Amino acid sequence: MNQTPDFKLSGQLDPALSDPATRTLHADKLIGRWLNTNSETQGVAEIIIEWVGGRFFVSVLGVGEDGLIAWPKTKATALANLEEEAGQRALALAVDFDFGFMRAETYLRVNKGVLVIVAYYIFLDGSRRSNYVNREFFYRHGG
Amino acid sequence: MNGYQMQIAQLRDRVITEPKSVGTGDLSTFAGVWINSNPETTGVARMVITQSGSQFSLRVYAIGPEGLIDWGSVDVNVFTATPSSHGVAGFTCLYDFGFVETRLQAMILKGLIVLAQIHRFKDGGDRVDYFVREYFALEHGRY
Repeated sequence: MNQTPDFKLSGQLDPALSDPATRTLHADKLIGRWLNTNSETQGVAEIIIEWVGGRFFVSVLGVGEDGLIAWPKTKATALANLEEEAGQRALALAVDFDFGFMRAETYLRVNKGVLVIVAYYIFLDGSRRSNYVNREFFYRHGG
Repeated sequence: MNGYQMQIAQLRDRVITEPKSVGTGDLSTFAGVWINSNPETTGVARMVITQSGSQFSLRVYAIGPEGLIDWGSVDVNVFTATPSSHGVAGFTCLYDFGFVETRLQAMILKGLIVLAQIHRFKDGGDRVDYFVREYFALEHGRY
């Protein structure tokens, strides 16, 4: 007799979460090189998502004063995204970048072919800068 | 900045003028009861945000099979729109229920809270970690 698993909202009982097909949702919609749709961005210029050894890794290039700034390549947590617009099932990623002076807690998802990153920046350096949130959009390089 | 070299990961992290201490800014529209725009949700039904001084706390009521589930109250980390601004543009917080850890990451867009939920199961079961985005409107009682 199956026992109801623990839950804190009904969505956590969605049978799709235990469906083996959910574990193998296509990663190809995420993997690749993504360029910011805004060529004048003061933020993230480029995102590279790789699948290595069964894990996602995310590399980011930020716009700097004298060129691009490479963020530390970071392992991502893959998340089933079951309720995206138009009912499409997809994967989302959660990635936390550690810069020492700052931490960026981000999530990435693809919606209708556009990669969206939402990033929460937390300053740890006592510079009195406000922690801030920002969202940017990316298109796949090479179509 | 008295010779202090401000570290950045992107140009947006710079603060041209002397950053002020983090203030409370315009928080008047943040506290209140926020209702899910989707009456058919199986996730978070409503959020109650309360203010005590410069600190905010959040209480979540989620949809359960037999009624609302009170998640209790947690402190939230508030985010602005830029490193030099003070108005609330988003928040994050963490609920650790033991069997699952739920990170909430919210952005305020056009008067709505866009709430991302990242559910990471820790119970060793067969459910996959998952992601949900939902929209919330502030209950204002005017109409």
